[in-house]
Amino acid sequence: MTPNALCFGSQFPVTGSPCHVEITPSGMRVRLESQPSEPDDGLIPFSNLSVSSGGLHHDQLVVQWSADSDRRTLFLKDPEIIRSFRETAPKDLTGELEEAASKVRKIRRRRRMAWIAAGSLVAALALFMWFGSNVLVDLAVSRIPIEWEKKLGEAAYRDFLAQQTVVKEGQAVAAVSEMTRRLTERISDDPYEFQVTVVRSDVVNAFALPGGYVVVFTGLMKKAENGEEVAGVLSHELNHVLQRHGLERIVKQLGLVAALSIVLGDQQGLIGLTKQVGVELLTLRFGREQETEADVTGVQLLHRANIDSHGMIRFFERLSEQQKEPIEILSTHPMSAARAARLKAEVAALPKQTLEPFTFDWKAVQDSLAGS
Amino acid sequence: MKSEVLYPGAFPMVRVELEAGENIKAESGAMVASSPTIDIESKMEGGFLGALSRKLLTGEKFFFQTLKAARGPGEVLLAPTVPGEIVIMELDGLNEYMVQKDGFLAGADTVKIESQMQSLSRGLLGGEGFFILKISGKGPLILNSFGAIHKIELRPDQEYIVDNSHLVAWSATTSYHIERAASGWVASFTSGEGFVCRFHGPGVVYIQSRNPGGFGNWIRQFIPVSE
Ligand SMILES: [Zn+2]
Repeated sequence: MTPNALCFGSQFPVTGSPCHVEITPSGMRVRLESQPSEPDDGLIPFSNLSVSSGGLHHDQLVVQWSADSDRRTLFLKDPEIIRSFRETAPKDLTGELEEAASKVRKIRRRRRMAWIAAGSLVAALALFMWFGSNVLVDLAVSRIPIEWEKKLGEAAYRDFLAQQTVVKEGQAVAAVSEMTRRLTERISDDPYEFQVTVVRSDVVNAFALPGGYVVVFTGLMKKAENGEEVAGVLSHELNHVLQRHGLERIVKQLGLVAALSIVLGDQQGLIGLTKQVGVELLTLRFGREQETEADVTGVQLLHRANIDSHGMIRFFERLSEQQKEPIEILSTHPMSAARAARLKAEVAALPKQTLEPFTFDWKAVQDSLAGS
Repeated sequence: MKSEVLYPGAFPMVRVELEAGENIKAESGAMVASSPTIDIESKMEGGFLGALSRKLLTGEKFFFQTLKAARGPGEVLLAPTVPGEIVIMELDGLNEYMVQKDGFLAGADTVKIESQMQSLSRGLLGGEGFFILKISGKGPLILNSFGAIHKIELRPDQEYIVDNSHLVAWSATTSYHIERAASGWVASFTSGEGFVCRFHGPGVVYIQSRNPGGFGNWIRQFIPVSE
């Protein structure tokens, strides 16, 4: 017979004696483990008992009675026995207990409601931070080390370049290198080592991967009327990296739970998560706010580098006006009148700059691309 | 599993002998030495979320370690971080104990460990944090204290008042209330020992003879402040 209750009394150990309790129609039968055969078979009539609730969480049934000039106390925890006691014992015995139990239940319910309310408040706050603002995303992104970002971007960069015709040398590469050098020299506390690759393709576009990996297509260089226009696009792309826009998109795509887990310290899982969710870095679309931010900081960077920032605006405007066939850069960077106006205002607000022209001859650069 | 306390006093260690295939759970970092037959696994007791919530809300170590006699019988030596006594208890399957989070050193595999949230007032005022461990099941349970462990035995309806920072473990048949030690709320907050627990029997309460927080304050005055 496995014991199912603890019996306390002055002759028993202070942590109670294990005993076996059985509820019968006439009373409660208690068999102590240490004394297997009690003279009266251990049956205590209900009329001799008093009950209450006890224990740390008031979830134990405490039964007391007098025996051998001693007060015995029984702690019952087994829900089956508690149920059968409440069903079998006369109402006058259990009435008080039911009253106490309903009081405990009420307190518990109130406490549970309080926890639910607190929990929903936290959840609502998290959801608000998620959809209503970027606080959580920014917080998560700020916890991701640059090294991880580089690893992430580098892998996608290698994969992409392996399938493309890379322009390795020549005037186009030299020109892009000069623009990159002029711009990156003016970035203070730059944690990235930007790598800019020219890729042969008629696509009129450029893109930046997290970690500082940038691709400029020859199609963009052919369409541009001067070096300043390409430098403008490049400055915009560099600022997507510097503002960590790619990571923000990834974190947003991974979802609230992932963002929370990054904030709470688990950056380890990020790369695994990225693979799991199948985020395609190359197809990442930036949001409108991110585009505006890259525009504004891009113009500021051009200004610091003494490169004419009107080139960037003119390039976007011209492309959107004379758009016959869909041009890729416009699908990822739709040029609206509002966007151009904002950029112009931004440029106007900056102090007058002393322009430093590029050393290359733009026509010659374009001619070097024409043959192939 | 057979266990024995070595060097009883301030700097004890416990030796646990395991039969082939036997497991014990230990506080991570508690293992001092072991036979080569013992494997260590870090297991998250109570599932990932349970472990996470313990870590976040109690600052407790994320994992318990499981030490397993995987390749034949062997022995493990375990010791707590702080100087103090070790006691080995045998759980009977009926008595459950609440253990303050630093009090748990190790337990048999048959011993069940759950994190339990305390009620708000107990968590705020009790000093043991919002989470305590609820330990049930059958088999040996090894507790440790800061200083010596003293056992208070309470008969039914007997009461005893304990400063909450001295609590190590107490049986679940006891109940307790938080009370102010000094009269007046200002005094409670300004005097170090603001709150006490009034325990109500039956059951046992294990207390430690030193207060870890008080010791921290005392030792801080000897640490030179560098600017
Ligand atoms: Zn963009």
